[in-house]
Amino acid sequence: MGISDIPILSMLRTRLDWSQARQRVLADNVANADTPHFRGRDLAPLKFDDPPLIASAAVPGITLTRTASSHMEGVGLSQSPFANKNAPVYEVRPGGNAINLEEEMMKVATNQMDFQAATALYTRSLNLIKTALGKR
Amino acid sequence: MDFLKTLTIATSGLRAQAGRMRIISENIANADSTPRGPNADPYRRKIPTFRSELDRTLDAQVVELGKVKTDSSAFRLKYEPGHPAADSNGNVKYPNVNSLVEMMDMREAQRSYEANVNVITATRRMIMRTIDILKT
Repeated sequence: MGISDIPILSMLRTRLDWSQARQRVLADNVANADTPHFRGRDLAPLKFDDPPLIASAAVPGITLTRTASSHMEGVGLSQSPFANKNAPVYEVRPGGNAINLEEEMMKVATNQMDFQAATALYTRSLNLIKTALGKR
Repeated sequence: MDFLKTLTIATSGLRAQAGRMRIISENIANADSTPRGPNADPYRRKIPTFRSELDRTLDAQVVELGKVKTDSSAFRLKYEPGHPAADSNGNVKYPNVNSLVEMMDMREAQRSYEANVNVITATRRMIMRTIDILKT
């Protein structure tokens, strides 16, 4: 049993993965803030009643086939296990762009705070294990 | 590593906005470029375009500077009979650049650039937090 199989750590890891994936989507929105006909996207909120997602956040993506045992394992296209969805549209500019920069910056800040909370909890949980081991 | 992808996407935004800034500065610098002769046209205002393109290695929509188009609106006419580029009626064609519009565009490019820089800063902070887990 690896350390990340401990339920609380694996849950926190899923949360961190989700924040990471969301940061990517938000960066996409901000970068395309002036692109015509661009609609913002966001990740669907994480639900903890989704057993397969919690059990293994790392869904194996498409990888290269190894036809001989001496082949090295290629790094495949890893697919994000989190669902993408279109963000609600409040206003559309004449150019057809629906990104609200302020809103996106708010989301980036929130995402960062969530991530920090999760990393802090992760550190605390690791400290609990260290305390149990008696080597502090 | 999703965070590195995030940084790449935000960088594509920075690059696009910097290219836009370059075109705006070209327009402002040439705001009074008169034609070479009586029948020639003066500088024509350039318009940057953005398009979002799917980067397959990132699996995300990065933004790119598209074709630079020219503004087809009419030139400004000024009555200056002594000017070497004046036509038979004494009118000189001046570029169809409006400094106020350019200033507005410049501010917008600046704001978008700052937004992308903020995304990079937030992402960087998140990476640092992840590394901090190791340090405890």
